[in-house]
Formats: sequence, C-alpha cells, structure tokens
Amino acid sequence: MIPRENLTHWDALVYVEMFLAGVAAGAYMTAAILELVGRGRSSVARTAHLIAFPLMLVCGLLLTVDLGRPERFWHMIVQSKTSLPMFKLWSPMSMGSWLVLVFPAFAFVSFLDALIAGRLFRIGGWRAESTLHGSPAGRIWAVIGGLLAFAVGSYSGILLSATNFPGWGDSAVLGALFVVTAVATGLGALLLGEAIRGQTSHPDIGDLARASVMVILWQLILIVVFVATLGPAGVRVFLAGSALVAIVGAALLGGLLPLLLLRFGAAAARPSMAALAGVLVLVGGFLLRYAVVIGPQQHG
Amino acid sequence: MAAAMGFYTDTTVCIGCKACEVACKEWNQLPATNGGANTLSGNSYDNTRELNGTHWRHVKFVEQFSPDRKQAQWLMMSDVCKHCVQAGCLEVCPTGAIIRTEFDTVVIQSDVCNGCRDCIAACPFDVIGINEATGTAQKCTLCYDRLQNGLTPACAQACPTASIQFGPIQELRQRADGRVSTLKAQGTQAYVYGDEKMLGGLNSFYLLVDRPEVYGLPPDPQLPSRSLGLSWLLSAGGAVVAGLAGALAFRKQRMDGAAEATTVGEGSER
Repeated sequence: MIPRENLTHWDALVYVEMFLAGVAAGAYMTAAILELVGRGRSSVARTAHLIAFPLMLVCGLLLTVDLGRPERFWHMIVQSKTSLPMFKLWSPMSMGSWLVLVFPAFAFVSFLDALIAGRLFRIGGWRAESTLHGSPAGRIWAVIGGLLAFAVGSYSGILLSATNFPGWGDSAVLGALFVVTAVATGLGALLLGEAIRGQTSHPDIGDLARASVMVILWQLILIVVFVATLGPAGVRVFLAGSALVAIVGAALLGGLLPLLLLRFGAAAARPSMAALAGVLVLVGGFLLRYAVVIGPQQHG
Repeated sequence: MAAAMGFYTDTTVCIGCKACEVACKEWNQLPATNGGANTLSGNSYDNTRELNGTHWRHVKFVEQFSPDRKQAQWLMMSDVCKHCVQAGCLEVCPTGAIIRTEFDTVVIQSDVCNGCRDCIAACPFDVIGINEATGTAQKCTLCYDRLQNGLTPACAQACPTASIQFGPIQELRQRADGRVSTLKAQGTQAYVYGDEKMLGGLNSFYLLVDRPEVYGLPPDPQLPSRSLGLSWLLSAGGAVVAGLAGALAFRKQRMDGAAEATTVGEGSER
C-alpha cells in the first residue's frame, strides 16, 4: 500500500459514532445472552434495552451529518435513479447502512418493552406482566436482535480493514477487536447504569463484574494480537504519536485498571467501585476507537 | 457495449509540459488555483503534488542522481485514474454512484455520490479525493462526455509527444508491447505496468523503466475485499468467545442460585 495524500477525514463524528454504536451493540448482545440463559426480565437486561435504542438514534444522526452531502443519506438505502433497494453484501459500508437502519428497529421494540416492564405505560395486551422479553417470542427476538447487534459491533472495524489505506488495510483483526470492545463497553455501561440505579446489591451486578473480567481479559489479548500482527505500515501509523498514547491508555485505563478493580476491588459490593470500573472501560473503549480511526490518518 | 477504451501512457516520451493537466482542468472546469495555496512544493517541478478531487491529472517528476551526483535524470509520468477492470472504489461504493460505463471506464456520478468517502480509502492508487465545491468524491472520468460524442479525452488530445495515447485497450496493449520490445532491444529495461494480471487489467496502463514504487505506484494493488471473509470470521470468533464468557458468568449465578435454593429446600425439609 502506498502512503496517502487523500485522507478520508473520518474524524470525531466517526470515532464517536463507532464508540456509541459499540456500546449499544454490546449492551444489546449482553441482554440477548441474558435472555438465552432465562433472565430476559432482569434489571440488567432492561437497562441494556433502555440504552441501546437511544444510542443508535444518535449514531444514525452522526453518520448522516458526517456525509459530504447529508441530504443524500438515503442514497445508501435506495438507488436514487431507479428507486430500487441499494444493497451490496460485499461492501461493509453498504451493509453497515442497512444495519444502522434495521438494528434500531429491533432495539426500539426492546426499548418499548423495557418501558412497559417499568410500568410506564402499556399498549393493549402488551403490559408489565406479559412483556416480550422473558417470553418464548422474546428469545427469538433476542437471537435476531443479538445477531444484528453483533454485526453492528463488527462492521465498522471490518469496513476499515476492507480498504487500501496503510494501517487499516493491513489488519484483519479490526472487526474482532471492535466487536469485543463493543461487548466490553456495553458491559461497562451496564455496570455504570446499575451502579447509578443503586442496584449493586442485586446478584446481577456480581455477574456483570464476572462477565466484564473475562471480556476485558479477552479484549486485552486481542489488543496484543492486533499490535503483534501489525505490518511495517501499521507500526508506523498506530505505534506513534497520539494513536500510541491512546492504545496504551486503552490497555491500561480500559483494561488493566478495571480488571484490578473488578477482580480485587469488591466492585460488586461497592457502587462507587462498580461505577468507576464501568467508566474506565468506557474511556478505554473510546480511546481504542480514537486510535484506530485517527492513527492512519495522521500519518497517511 | 462499445469496445473497452483507455489510456496507454508511455512515460519515456513524457517531457513534463503539463499540457494534459491544463487541458483536463479546462475541459472539466476544475479550479486551477490549488485551493488558493501559492506555496511551491519544493519537489522538483511538481506543484500539483497529488491526484485528488480537483487534480484529475498529475505529472510526476522523479529526480534520480548517480552516487557521485555528477549525473542526473528525470523520470516523468502523467498519472491518472487507472479505470481498473476490478475497481476497488466501485466495489465498496454504497450508493451506486460509481459505475462502469459502456466504454469499460469507471465514473463517479456526482449527482448520486453523498460524500461518504469510502472510495477514497478503497482505491489502491490514492486517486480519489473530495471536491469541496460539490461535497462529493471525484476523479478522472476519462472524459465520459467526450467519449459519448466520439471525441478523444482532453489530456490525450493535448499531449504534444503522444506520451498519453487513447484508444481501444487491445490495440493499445499491442502498441505498448511493441514499444517495450523496441526499448529492450535498445538496452532499456522497460515493462508494462497494469496488465491483465493486475486487478483484471488497468484500462489506464503505463510503460515504466523503473520499479513501480519509484513512481509512487503500488507493486501489487489489491481489492479492498481481499480479506473480507477472514475479517468476518475472526469477528465472529471474537464475539463467540465474549458471548461464552458472558453466558458463563450469567449462567453461574443462576446455577449458584439453584444450588442455594436446593440447599435451602433441603434445610427446610429437615
């Protein structure tokens, strides 16, 4: 790959979007797992559903504003000259556009379900005693929504890999790194959410902490794999300047530190500790998105 | 479909006059002010610097010196979009703005492009850029409007040394092969960059006399989708491990709870 003069200028709007989409996808995937182990009506699952949909709305807005011609955002979905659907399975950007449209539709139903579960309102027979999640239909919904969430968490990393841009195009593990970071930050957001809601004495928080420890470990392993498999161009763009600082920050702040807090800090019993661990994981996830998106563009 | 048309650029006869750049800008009504930047690049006579959304032709000046710097030579090359048969930009474009024309050339429809910029990262030759005036990605169209009217592209029309030749691809390739043979017979190591093995063939190909990297060209350009399957596979693997970790953690509490309930149950029975 040759050094670049033309940059994509995927800047703050893009890495913020990738971070928020990751949190939403990770939270929804966590809720899907809870559903599959028979805890679809748990407080954590409900918090996840309350988080995912609003974040995805923000993501759609950020992506639209980032376009050179935002008023033509719909060209991603409908062919402007034929009015036929516009879809390319082999283009991560095309697939991502559809995912950013379809996943929020699933997340919206789950969001409504969480509000109904909280007895805020009801729609006909759809009431707190008979929510979608926690029912057999909820399981099917969680599987489909969970798979969509996986794709949302992965596609932006895969999109970067599917380029000829030095750094991005040299690494095939970006998708894996992004989706695992998504799960970690989703869990982090749930830890923070549950701590804020004062649910830390609930057994769920202990489970969240246990899951976080394992996923953070997996994330750290993938960061090491990502760095170890970088080619010369990748080393030049990622292991220099602010990208290097951000990657180290992601590993320390978003990895080792929360790992210690969750493993030895009795985070499950102390709301402040759980909240701090959640915030650190979120900061780490954000730094990683920043490093991956900005690193190659700083150096071309 | 009409015969595949394209450019054959013989870099050995380029004199760096930049008539191609001027003709391109004039015909396509592209700004020649370089974004208002009046500073010189300091890189030989190259102040165009790059191909981008407003420079669709770029004459490169490569200065080469002997170790004792007593001898010097220029390699000059008029660079342009390669109109690849397997085009990375066309592959990733999510709006369908990038099309293959009846002349087998690759064109960005400016009225369809929404400026997502994925094609900029996908192009292995760093050809595409954003035109700030339109907010869309732009590059050489191989003068699609002129071709539709039976005219030669402006750059090829203006080239005074026939370094840029336009015509049916098969005919151009034969011409290039003949030129390579002639040069080799004269002792010059020449070769064609962009044959059918490279991305199915570049419909704008070059006769070069040094390594591709010397001209700023990639030696082995690839499609952006080259590792798409592997990326999804690794991603799925990563998610499965994370999912199992989650399931294990959440399942554990359930089992602990069940064990606890059993213990309590046994206790009450006693």
